[in-house]
Amino acid sequence: MNWRFIGRTIGVLLVLLGVSMAAPLGTAVFFHDGATLLFLDAMGLTLGAGLILILMSQALDPTAYISQQAGMATVALAWVAVCLFGALPFYLSPDFTTLADAVFESVSGFTTTGSSVMTQIEAAAKSLLLWRSLIQWLGGMGIIVLSLAVLPFLGVGGIQLYRAEVPSPVPDKLTPRLSDSAKILWMVYLGFTLLEILMLYAGGMGVYDAINHAFTTMPTGGFSTRNASIAAYNSVYFDYVIVLFMVLAGINFSLHYQLLRGRPLVFWRDSECRFFLILALTLTLVMTWDLWGGVYDRFTDALRYASFQVVSIITTTGYATADYEKFPGLSQVLLLLCMFIGASAGSTGGGIKCARIMVCCKYCYREVFKILHPRSVSQVSINGYPVSDALIRSIMGFLGLYLGIYVISSVLLAALGMDLMTSLGAVAACIGNIGPGFGSVGPAENFAHLPAAGKWLLSWCMLAGRLEIYTIIILFAPEFWKG
Amino acid sequence: MRILIIGAGEVGYNIASRLASENKKVTVIDKDEAAIRRLSENLDVQSIRASATSPKTLIEAGIKESQILLAVTDSDEVNLVTCLLSRHMAPEIKMLARVRNAELDDFHQRFRKAAPHIDTIINPETEVVGTIRRLMHIPGAVDVGDFVEGKVSYAGLRIPKSSKMVGMSMSAFSTRFDKDHPLIAAILRNTQVIVPRGDTRFHANDLIYIICEKKDLEEKLNLFGLGHKPVKTALVIGGGRIGERLSRTLVEDGIKTKIIETDLTRCNELSQEISGALVLHGDGSDQSLLLEENIGQTDVVVPVTDDDETNILISLLAKSMGARDTITKIGKTNYHPLLPAIGIDKVVSPRLSAISSILQDVRKGKVLSDISIFGEQGEFIEAIALDRSSITGKPIKKITFPKGTLLLCVIQEGQVIIPTGDTVVDPGNRLLLFAVNHAVKKLETLLSVKFTRKE
Repeated sequence: MNWRFIGRTIGVLLVLLGVSMAAPLGTAVFFHDGATLLFLDAMGLTLGAGLILILMSQALDPTAYISQQAGMATVALAWVAVCLFGALPFYLSPDFTTLADAVFESVSGFTTTGSSVMTQIEAAAKSLLLWRSLIQWLGGMGIIVLSLAVLPFLGVGGIQLYRAEVPSPVPDKLTPRLSDSAKILWMVYLGFTLLEILMLYAGGMGVYDAINHAFTTMPTGGFSTRNASIAAYNSVYFDYVIVLFMVLAGINFSLHYQLLRGRPLVFWRDSECRFFLILALTLTLVMTWDLWGGVYDRFTDALRYASFQVVSIITTTGYATADYEKFPGLSQVLLLLCMFIGASAGSTGGGIKCARIMVCCKYCYREVFKILHPRSVSQVSINGYPVSDALIRSIMGFLGLYLGIYVISSVLLAALGMDLMTSLGAVAACIGNIGPGFGSVGPAENFAHLPAAGKWLLSWCMLAGRLEIYTIIILFAPEFWKG
Repeated sequence: MRILIIGAGEVGYNIASRLASENKKVTVIDKDEAAIRRLSENLDVQSIRASATSPKTLIEAGIKESQILLAVTDSDEVNLVTCLLSRHMAPEIKMLARVRNAELDDFHQRFRKAAPHIDTIINPETEVVGTIRRLMHIPGAVDVGDFVEGKVSYAGLRIPKSSKMVGMSMSAFSTRFDKDHPLIAAILRNTQVIVPRGDTRFHANDLIYIICEKKDLEEKLNLFGLGHKPVKTALVIGGGRIGERLSRTLVEDGIKTKIIETDLTRCNELSQEISGALVLHGDGSDQSLLLEENIGQTDVVVPVTDDDETNILISLLAKSMGARDTITKIGKTNYHPLLPAIGIDKVVSPRLSAISSILQDVRKGKVLSDISIFGEQGEFIEAIALDRSSITGKPIKKITFPKGTLLLCVIQEGQVIIPTGDTVVDPGNRLLLFAVNHAVKKLETLLSVKFTRKE
C-alpha cells in the first residue's frame, strides 16, 4: 500500500476543506450568529491536519505506479477523513450533543443524502446551516473531481482516483485529459447552481435561502434551511423551479455539456436519459391519478405534489412538499421503488442508477429469450454500443451487493429496536442517498431519535451508497489488507 | 495539442503513455476491448472502442480538432484507409502511418506526394534493420546512433569488471584524459538512469553513454580499448521480413551472410530473392547445425525470429559456442531490464525503434530528432534553440536546467561545441540534450518560446 500517496491526497483534500470553511466563517461574521470562534477552531484544526499530512508524505516519486486498488482505498479513506473533519463544526456547535450526531450530519451532507438529526433547524446559527448546504454542494460532484479541477496535483494516480469516485457503468470521459473533463463538469455544475440561485431569487426567496437551496438542489442533496423543507414556502413557482433543477441534476452531466455544445436532441438520443425522463413522467402521471380525488381535490394540486415527490425521490434529492406517508399505498410503494432506481449514471444523484437497471432488465430478457431460442446470438447494448460481459457481471455483482447490504443493514437496524417500516425505509433512504425514509424517519420526522449505533450504521450505508459499494467494500475484504 | 492515435497495441499504448505524461490531449481508437480497457485503466487519455475506418468514429474522436494523427495498428490496410479518410475529413492534419509490408516500400514516396498525403511513414522493420547495421559496425558498443545529420554520434558502452575506470570519479576521469575525453551523457546502473555530476563514480557493469563527433568515434572507443574490428561474416537466424531485409542489406555491404530458416518453402523463396546469401534449412537452436556452419568463426550472430525467448536462447547458445558477438531482437520491453544480467547486451526492438521515430515526429519546440534509451527511461533530444526561449541569450551557468537533464553539445555554424558555463546559446543553434523520462516535460518548457506560442 502506498501510504505516502494516500497521505498526500488526504492532506490536500483537507486543506481544500479547510479553505472552504472560510465561507461559513464569513457568514458567521456577517450575521453575528455566535459561530465565528467555532469555525475558526474547525478551520485551524482541518488546515493543520492537512498541512501535517502533506509535510509527512512529501517527496512522492513522480513515476510511482498507483494501482486501481490503491486508488480505491485512497478515495475511500479520503472520504472518511473529509467526513470526519467536516463534522467538526457540528461537533463544536451547541446544537449537537454527541459525536454520532455530528458525524451523521456531516456524512449525510457530503454524500448528498440529506437525512438530518437536527430538530430545530430555524433556530440554528445561519453559518452552520450554510456549512451544511456547502458540504452537500462540494460532495455532489465529488471531492476528488473538485480537486482534479482546481489543483493539478493528482497527475500521478489521478486517473485511478477519478475512476474510484465516479465508477460510472457508461463511458463518460468528455475530453482526453482528466483535468479538463473535471473542469467542464464543475463549470456546468457551477453554472446551473448560479442559474437556480437567480431563478429562486427572482421568485422572491431571500438571497441566503436561495443560495442554500441551490447548493442542495444541484447535488441532489436535500438539506433545507426550514424544518418543513420546501413546503414552508408553499409556492407553485418554487416547486416547479426546484423540480426543473432536480431533473437537470439527475441527468448525466456529460449530456449537459453536449447540449451546450449545440446538440439539442441529446437528451432524447441518449437511451439512459430517455429511460429516466419517461420513467419519471410515467410515475408522476400514475401518482397524480392515485392522488386526485382522494388526497387532493384539484387536478393541478395532485400533479404539483405528485411531480415534486416523484422527482425529489427518484433523483435522490429528498426535499418534501407533502407528507407522503399520508398518501395511498400505491403511491408509497412507487416512491419506495424510486428510492432504489435512482438517477442517471454520471449525474449527482444516487441509488442504483438507471443505466444499471436498464442493463439488468435487458440481460434478464436475453436470458429468457435464450431458453426459447438456445442458439440465438444477441448482445445487450446501450446507446447502440454493446455492453461487455465483464461489465454485465460487474453490474450484477453491484446489484447483489447493494441488495445484500440493504437487507443486512435493515436487519441490524430492526435489532436495535426500530419497527419494520422505519428499518426498511431508513436504510433505503441512506444507501440510496435520498434523505427521508418511511415510518418514524418519514418526511415529517427526522433521524434524531435513532440510537447512536444506528446512526453509525446508517453513516456507513450512506458512504457505501455514495461511492457505489465497491470502493468502500474493498476496505472490508481481508484479502485487501493481506496483499 | 490534440493527438489522435489509431491502434492501442504495444506501439500505440507506449506512445499514448509518453504523450499523456507530457500533458498532451490524447485520444486512442481501437477495436479490441482488452486493449482499450488496459489503456483506460492506466492512462489519462480518452479511449474509444470502435473501428477507426468508420468516419463516424473519427468525427466522434475529434479528428477535426486534432493536429496530429498517428495510425499505428498492426494492419497496414487499416492504417492506410484511416489516413485516406482522415485526409478528406481534416485536410490540414499531420499524419503518420506505420506501414510494414516490404512490398509497399516503393510506394512510400507516392503515399507522401499523392493521396493520402501521409507526412511520415514509419516501417518498424526498416528502422530495426538500420539499428542492427549500426550496431554491427561498432562491435564494442551496445547501442549507437547519430544526431545532427550524422555529425555527432552516441554510443552505449558496458564497463567491464576489469576496467581501470571502475571506482574512478567523473572529475578524475576528465583530468586523466584531459581535453580529449569523450563526454559522458548518462549512466545506466541496474535499472536506474543517472545523469553524471563531477563526483559520480563508475561502477563495474555500468552502461555509459558517450557523445562525440562522428569522425572521432573510433578514436574515442580506442580510449576504452574497444577498437574497430570489421565484421566479415554474419549469421542471421529467422527468415521473416526482418531477416530477409537484413540479409539483403548485409549482402549489399559485402558481408558474407548465412540465413537459417525452419520453413522449407520460405527457404526456397529466400534463396531466389537474395542471391548473395547462403540459405540454410534447419532449426536455429540446433547445436549440430551451428557447429556444422562453424559458428565459432562467425563475427556476429543475429537471431531475428518472431519468438523472443528463442532469440534469447540462440544468442546465449551462440556466445557459449564462441561467436564473437550477437545482436538479439526482442519485442517485449518487459524483458529489457533483465537482459544485461544474463549477458545479452545488444538488443534491438522494432517497437522501440518505431516509438522513438514517432515521438521525434510529434514533439514541439522544433525538436529535430530524439532517441529513447534504456527502454525509454531517458532520451536524447535534439532541438533548435528558439528566439525568446529561456535557453538563449545568456551564459549557460545562469540557466536553471531541470533536475535530470544535461546539455550535451551546441552546434554553432557547423562547429560542435562542448559547452562550458560561459557558453552562450544563440537563437538558431542546434542543441543536443539528455533528459530522464520525467524531466522531459520541464525541458520542453525550457525550450519553447515564452508567452506567445506558435505552433
